[in-house]
Amino acid sequence: MKKFRVVISIAAVALVVFLSESANGSIDAAAQVASSGAETAQHGVGQPTDKAGAAAYAKHCAVCHGDQREGNLPAFPPLMGIKRRMTNDKIADLIHKGKDRMPGFPNLKDGELEALLTYLTTDAPPSSFANGNAPAAHASGLEEAGGALFQQNCAFCHGRDAMGGETGPDLTRSKLVLADKNGEEISKVVREGRPDNKMPAFNFSSQELLSLVAFIHERVKTASSGKGGRRGVDVADLQTGNVDAGKQYFNGAGGCSKCHSPTGDLAGIAKRFQGLQLEERMLYPRGAKSTVSVTLPTGMKVEGTLAYLDEFTVALRDADGSYRSWATNRVKYKVNSPVDAHIEQFPKYTDDDIHNLMAYLQTLR
Amino acid sequence: MKSFKVAFVIAAGSLALLTAVAPMIAAQNLSNDDLLKPKAESWPLYHGDYSGRRHVHLTQITPRNIGSLTLAWAFQTNQSAQIKSSPLLVDGVLYFTVPDNVWAVDARSGHMIWRYNRISTTGDHIGHRGVAMYKGWLYFTTPDAHLISLNAKDGTVRWDKAVADVNKGYWTTMAPLVVRGHVIVGVSGDLDNLQGYLRAVDPETGATQWQWDATPPAGTPNAATGGMTWMTGTYDPELDLVYWGTGNPTPVLNGTTRPGDNTWTCAIVAIHPDTGKLVWGFQASPHDTHDWDAVETPVLVDADFHGQPRKMLMQSSRNGYFFVLDRTNGKSLLTVPFGPVNWALGIDAQGRPIPNPAKEPAPDGRLIAPDEGGMTNYRAPSFDPQTGLFIVDAHPSFSIYFAKPADGTYGWAGADYGLWGKGVIEAIDYQTGKIRWSHQVGASGSGAGVMTTDSGLTITGDGYGNVLALDTRDGKTLWHAGMGSPMASSPISYELDGRQYIMTSSGGVLFAWALPQSASVENQAGNGTR
Repeated sequence: MKKFRVVISIAAVALVVFLSESANGSIDAAAQVASSGAETAQHGVGQPTDKAGAAAYAKHCAVCHGDQREGNLPAFPPLMGIKRRMTNDKIADLIHKGKDRMPGFPNLKDGELEALLTYLTTDAPPSSFANGNAPAAHASGLEEAGGALFQQNCAFCHGRDAMGGETGPDLTRSKLVLADKNGEEISKVVREGRPDNKMPAFNFSSQELLSLVAFIHERVKTASSGKGGRRGVDVADLQTGNVDAGKQYFNGAGGCSKCHSPTGDLAGIAKRFQGLQLEERMLYPRGAKSTVSVTLPTGMKVEGTLAYLDEFTVALRDADGSYRSWATNRVKYKVNSPVDAHIEQFPKYTDDDIHNLMAYLQTLR
Repeated sequence: MKSFKVAFVIAAGSLALLTAVAPMIAAQNLSNDDLLKPKAESWPLYHGDYSGRRHVHLTQITPRNIGSLTLAWAFQTNQSAQIKSSPLLVDGVLYFTVPDNVWAVDARSGHMIWRYNRISTTGDHIGHRGVAMYKGWLYFTTPDAHLISLNAKDGTVRWDKAVADVNKGYWTTMAPLVVRGHVIVGVSGDLDNLQGYLRAVDPETGATQWQWDATPPAGTPNAATGGMTWMTGTYDPELDLVYWGTGNPTPVLNGTTRPGDNTWTCAIVAIHPDTGKLVWGFQASPHDTHDWDAVETPVLVDADFHGQPRKMLMQSSRNGYFFVLDRTNGKSLLTVPFGPVNWALGIDAQGRPIPNPAKEPAPDGRLIAPDEGGMTNYRAPSFDPQTGLFIVDAHPSFSIYFAKPADGTYGWAGADYGLWGKGVIEAIDYQTGKIRWSHQVGASGSGAGVMTTDSGLTITGDGYGNVLALDTRDGKTLWHAGMGSPMASSPISYELDGRQYIMTSSGGVLFAWALPQSASVENQAGNGTR
């Protein structure tokens, strides 16, 4: 019994420590906002000149909504572009009464309130994109908030300007992005990730997703209106091959014709896929299905589409669509992966082979 | 007023706790000697010790008893950020990180002692490798490129210094390396044309002691920028040299504005810790155009090489080559690929791969092996002294690389697309580069960092989320457990109260594995020291 009580008291004190820590944390965070504000002030362009409003904001609002009105999602929404979402009266009402976790500021009145409202509804200064590829300067507040989020979470793979970087594709040419109308498509991928393509899932709030979508759409607009040649891989870039040589490779050294036929599975392939997408698919069709045949200890055979395989577990979906799995050490199994021929071909290609093959496939319309 | 009173009571309560617990925890005071000769009950450096071998002399968990290995505890960060850090263990307390966060966790029970959370709204949040410790202080890098010294007892800030300018495009993720009175910190930043450098700061004040520049300042004609120093180096106390890997040049995929070798990008460099002066450098990828940082652990091994005792440095590099160097002078002993590579014309007289100009990114694309993530990446390899095997998480892979004038000469300056890759744990014979065994860990992606033990275990993970214990002699699986998602860090091991723990992570969860309590007590006679 004694032991038990000790555990409880330790747990209680641990909780207490946690609470006091998180209090420290928020103080640190506030200090951080102030210090980073000092840095950006030197770089900031178009700072509002209304000092009284800025002072009121710094005093009452910056702790939560950030020194640059950038917010701190998910808890604290950005206030940039708030005039597009709310009237002055509504903002004033919200300031006085508070909402949810936001406290009310009933004593904020008259001149100070006026100044604060003017400050809040003045166009926000551009957020601190680094030099070089800075996106459009006239972005709305929502886009700016999305831009900040993008720089922190997405830019490493997709590039600072969303036009591709380490591993991640050029989002301004993404079919999914171009087809996205109201953010649903983009949000779905961001929320759920793409495990097959190494894209992680992100736990963003709806507000954050909206801002991210706004930023990405702004990037698409800017990218397609860019002066001079467009960055990234164009269909026109992939026309250096020779059709006849490609056809020869398809039927000969490439071994493609062992599995594929230009009048069968590949008929019209160039209508369904173009450019980089076609080339990626040609080299390795992601998501191609394998089949597996599992022999149970009883001698019974189960066949289906391979659903999972590691050292310890093999699983399939049978003809009914049911998922079934076994410990690998209790069954015999044989996997049939025709797609492996693409892997075996990698070390054999020359770059010319690839360009020629691409030229040939593009004739299959 | 009421809330103030509550806060006061809380403060008093936590003070009472600290006083009560104090006698149980030794003073958290990590000395130079503790870093030079780590105790079995500690993991005081990113790699466990200065050598980077990630090999422990603990022998309680063996190939024979590992079948009964079980979960001692798990710690939930409740964050969506993946744990990519190597925890430190000092005086019974583990310290580990994700971007913007440090936790101190009781290594016996897995309960949280404190958490430090510093929200940064700028800088890249790509990952975090962990903290460094010296005396009673932790050193933590942030996405907005600050280095922060925290009190290890309670996570309070002692000082906070910018080590690079986040507004220019720098960020930091790495665990600093403490050598004597120097906290050595590196920087990241591939999205802009920025100078890479390594900096030593004073542990007490954060004042800069020296800075070694990997490349000339941005804007220097015909010169590369880049050479970021984003992984923790190693140290040889006898030679008194720090070894560090540097990252790729920028612009990344377009080499036209930066002719020549682009020293010291994609290089292994030996630096004097008191002065920051370069003693020697070796380029793993001269004139890189594929983003293959040579920042992977420079592993220090003293052993025979072809019958002659040698002080060696080994690196399994992101560009697909395994290098063995004489670390007294940087001369090459062995250069050999450890998977499919197709971008080099051969090996030059200095042991460096010769890049094939026809394999530079081009408007119509070039097929390149390995892919841009490389044949291996930040997850640590391990050297096992008993078998002489260098064991690494390898990633055979193919990709296509593009660059054209419209892509410009700033930052990424091109595009590359991974086509296919798989994960393989490979055991390389360091004298020949021959692969003694390989263990497949997944049809896509890669495996996990590697740690070996004196009892003959290789601890790693697969691409599906299993933690694996392999037999170091032949790579056969001895034990596994599903953790839910692949391990994005490198395992560590330590001993506490006579019980050996193996620590792995998955997603935002830290796992401590150990033998069942009764079994480990029986086996106490077998305890080793590190």
